[in-house]
Amino acid sequence: MSHCHTKVEQPSASEILPKLEVPGVLSRVEELVRRYPLPRAALLEVLWLAQEALGWLPDEAIRWAAGKCKVSPVHAFGVSHFYTMYKKAPTGRFFVQICQNVSCHILGAEDIIAHAEKALGIRNGETTADGLFSLLRVECLGACGNGPVLQVNDDFATDVVDGTLAMPAGVGLTPERFDRIVDWCRRRAASLKAEPARDAVGGLFDTKGHPGATGATSAAQRPDYAPAPPALGVAVSRTEDGKVKVVWRAAPESNQLHLESRAGTGDFKLLATMTGKDKEWLGELSAGTEVRVVAQSGERRAKPSNVAKVEG
Amino acid sequence: MATLTVTQNFGKGAKDLSVYKSLGGYSSIGSRLFDLSQFELIDLVTSSGLRGRGGAGFPTGMKWSFVPRNSGKPVYLVVNADEGEPGTFKDHFLMLEDPHRLIEGMIVCGWALGVRTAYIYVRGEFLPAIEALNAALKQAYDAGLLGENIAGSGYSLDIYVHRGAGAYICGEETALINSLEGFKGQPRLKPPFPAVSGAWASPTCVNNVETLMALPWILENGPAAYQALGTPKSGGTKVFSVSGDVKRPGVYEIPLGTPLMELLESPDLCQGVIGTLKGVIPGGSSSPVLTAEEAKKANMDYEALASLKTMLGSGAVVAFNETRGAVGMLASLTRFYAHESCGQCTPCREGTGYADRILKTVVAGKGRDGDLEHMLDIADNISYTTICPLAIADAWPIQNFIGKFRSEFDAEVAKNPGHAQARVSSDFRPGAFW
Repeated sequence: MSHCHTKVEQPSASEILPKLEVPGVLSRVEELVRRYPLPRAALLEVLWLAQEALGWLPDEAIRWAAGKCKVSPVHAFGVSHFYTMYKKAPTGRFFVQICQNVSCHILGAEDIIAHAEKALGIRNGETTADGLFSLLRVECLGACGNGPVLQVNDDFATDVVDGTLAMPAGVGLTPERFDRIVDWCRRRAASLKAEPARDAVGGLFDTKGHPGATGATSAAQRPDYAPAPPALGVAVSRTEDGKVKVVWRAAPESNQLHLESRAGTGDFKLLATMTGKDKEWLGELSAGTEVRVVAQSGERRAKPSNVAKVEG
Repeated sequence: MATLTVTQNFGKGAKDLSVYKSLGGYSSIGSRLFDLSQFELIDLVTSSGLRGRGGAGFPTGMKWSFVPRNSGKPVYLVVNADEGEPGTFKDHFLMLEDPHRLIEGMIVCGWALGVRTAYIYVRGEFLPAIEALNAALKQAYDAGLLGENIAGSGYSLDIYVHRGAGAYICGEETALINSLEGFKGQPRLKPPFPAVSGAWASPTCVNNVETLMALPWILENGPAAYQALGTPKSGGTKVFSVSGDVKRPGVYEIPLGTPLMELLESPDLCQGVIGTLKGVIPGGSSSPVLTAEEAKKANMDYEALASLKTMLGSGAVVAFNETRGAVGMLASLTRFYAHESCGQCTPCREGTGYADRILKTVVAGKGRDGDLEHMLDIADNISYTTICPLAIADAWPIQNFIGKFRSEFDAEVAKNPGHAQARVSSDFRPGAFW
């Protein structure tokens, strides 16, 4: 929520760190940092974790995330203010975001927003006195087929079906449906003490060999994990002086090429080893000999190429 | 029933691995894929005519062929699921309904390019889709379809979901990479292109969700069958997100080259327009708008829409009828682009806000003669002067809405009794409306 011009009372570090420096959060931070080659890349996800734990992002939480991702606090402040979904101020329990962009606009988003402001008694960007609802106009939510559409916290909704928020195909908001959604929220607040926590960035994976789980990021990033390169399109011809010329097309990453040949029906034997930059081979071969090329990149040998036969 | 290549599992509960497998899923992950060399696979995708479905429509096989595999650096695959273009919601539902098809497509692409680590960048608002993807990833890992040594092939791939945090500009591929790296989502200057130097300065392939989800079908049925579904130059099918004044809005997959009016009026598809059609935005909010006359001539493929001076874009069709005011629609778009400008390039940062403030003045009944020319002038000046196309995405709607519905804009200006007075330019100073 954009609160650039609003003074927000900031909690101190000692107030928020007990909620962040807990094993559940810390283990997930470690897993997130391992997902990327550099810890900095986990910044967005660690900010999400902090917002999940605290409900919003106080300045000290941004500082904490910066420390975890090994970036300067000013970098983290810049990033957290660039993205609109990090809340720089607390919101109500039900954060109602109504789309006002073009598809929703033509289907009456302005009427819905006017109705919402009246029904909740607050204006865009405000929170009700009981702390239940916050209202915000947002840009396209990516559910235009259900326009006008809104989000309650992280869920899309245009109606209440069978006692849950729902977005039935092709159904958009009307004032009546909006009222049903508000009623649903109020009833939920009466029966449920707090909203159950949602997993903001996905849980831990418990899979063997998974670099995030084992900390094997550096090994997983080895370039030779690439599959071995192929060599294709081998062709032979005779030059005017009677020599045999073998040409091929090889993948650019091949750093070695093995030219193999066989006479008759035996196994292919190594004829010559060349670098990946070589384009052709010239030499003596008897008629009827078959040749093929096997490319190699690092330790990995590719599948052999097609087989070409030396003509008489 | 037309052939479906991407959405055939909709409504069948394919989120679950066993259901997806029973519908023929993951059948390409085996000898069908791993017997193909990288060259053969890239040639196969090239010959299918598959083009990027995110908006730019760049041929996928050609994009893959630009990724060097001998740079000594790892190759990354980044899936662009930061679907923010107003009117577009196909990727949202593709990920909700069929997350395993995306994973299968990523394994195919990963094998072609030698990718070890891949990221799916999902926009922050799509938490339900992120949850569906994470659940699907866990199932795939448990079944040995991801991680080390996929299906005994010796090939290994890890996939992570990366959640964005609300910035339209991150749908631009270099901004997306910056955001993935933990920076503000501001586009980078090209070249170097991501294929050469993308995420962590390594070769990076950025593909749209729908593009990758078409791959399993292409592998199963062959590139010729896919190409044959569309037109000679635009092969295959495309998923369209239809919204606005139609009886049944939603996500529809049709062969490229289908007439726009068939999409809007076919009983199997949108079932008709509510009211009298006034115009259609054919490819997301930044694509030039079509009047009803033009819409009747339009076929939904890359070349036909280009000949009408608009574009297929992300396939977001917004139809609107005679009761909808063009001024209000354009105002919602200029506000959007002013809000979403990343602030990096001066022409876009200043120009989008400037144009938005002029239109807000007009909508507030304080327009003066010359205001519209002023907006067109700004649109002209911000085009092609910035790092990324966001400024052009703002300029095209301005030029086309004003150009094609000029009388409405003139009438809006004429509501001001003093519209003939000369404008004092400080009326548009920043902050006038904030």
